[in-house]
Amino acid sequence: MSINQALPFFSTAIMLGFTIYVLQRFFIRRQLHFLFWGVGLAMFGAGSFAEAYLALTWNKWVFFTWYLFGAALNAAWLGHGTLYLLVRKKWVHVITGLLILGSLFAGYLMLQVMPKLDTDVFTTEKLISEQYGTKVLGDNEVAPSDAQTTQTTYRGQEVIAVRGLLPLGSPVRLTTPFFNIYGLLTLVGGAIWSAYLFWLKRVMPNRVIGNVLIAAGALLIGFASTLTRLGYGQFLYLGELLCAILMFAGFRFAARPQPDEISQPVPVAATD
Amino acid sequence: MPNHDHKINKSHIPRNSLFFEKIVPSLLILMGMITICLILFALGVLTGIVHF
Repeated sequence: MSINQALPFFSTAIMLGFTIYVLQRFFIRRQLHFLFWGVGLAMFGAGSFAEAYLALTWNKWVFFTWYLFGAALNAAWLGHGTLYLLVRKKWVHVITGLLILGSLFAGYLMLQVMPKLDTDVFTTEKLISEQYGTKVLGDNEVAPSDAQTTQTTYRGQEVIAVRGLLPLGSPVRLTTPFFNIYGLLTLVGGAIWSAYLFWLKRVMPNRVIGNVLIAAGALLIGFASTLTRLGYGQFLYLGELLCAILMFAGFRFAARPQPDEISQPVPVAATD
Repeated sequence: MPNHDHKINKSHIPRNSLFFEKIVPSLLILMGMITICLILFALGVLTGIVHF
C-alpha cells in the first residue's frame, strides 16, 4: 500500500472525531446548522473510509458509498448547514426539501447504475479516484500505459474510451456538479462572508481566522475534486486530509472562547 | 427589567496588525476568486463546454 492509499485512514479518523464533536453540539443546542454539518461530515467520513477500504479490496456497496456520499453529496449538506446558520428565512426550509429530494434522486440514479459497473477494471494498485470514471479520449489524446481502453459508440459516434467503473454517460455523474456548486457556494462563500463581516466589525479575530481556515479547507477539496474530474485523481486523498485538518482546526478555532471574554450583567434584549 | 449574566465578547482585532490588515483581506479576495473559478468550471462541465 502506498502512502497516498493510507491517507484516507487518517482523514476518516479526523472526520469521525469532527462528526462526533459537531453532533454533540446539535444534541445539546438543537440548532439545525449543527445537524446538517454533522450529516455532511459523516458523509465525508464515510467517503474517506470507503477510499481506505477500496485500497484493500473491492466491494460494490462501498463504492456506492464512496461515490454517493464522498463525491456527490457531502459538500452540499455541509454548505446547507452554513446556510442555516447565516440565513434565518423560511425559504431555507424549501431548499432543505429540494436538497433531500435531490439527494434521494442521486441515490436512485446510483442504484440504477450499480448492475452496470465495469468491475473488471478495478485494481487495488490504483486509487479509486483514478479508476471510477470512463473517459472518452480526444483526437490527439493517448491513453495512459496502464489503462484499459475500449471502442464504443457514444452520442452516435465511434469513440475510444479509457474504461472506468462507472459506464460512459452515467446520469449520476451529471448530478455531482449541481451538489458541488451549491456546496462550494454556501460552504466557502458562507465562510468567506462570515470572516469578512467579523473583520469589517473588527471583532472576534478567532472567528475571522476560523472561517478563513474553513474556507481554505473546503477550497482545497474543491480544487482536488476538480483535478480528479480532469483525470488527476492522485491529489484527491491529500486534498481530503488537508481539508479535514483545516476545517476541524477552523471550527475549533471559531468556537474557542476568547481570553478576554468577561461575564457581566447586561439586559437580555442587548444580546439577541 | 431583570438583568441576566451574559458573556460580552470584548475581543477585538488588533490595530496595525499586518496579518489582519493585509494578509486576511488578501486571502479572502483570493479565495473568493478561486471559488468563482471553480464554480465557473463546474458550470462549464454541466453545460458541456468543458469536456472531461
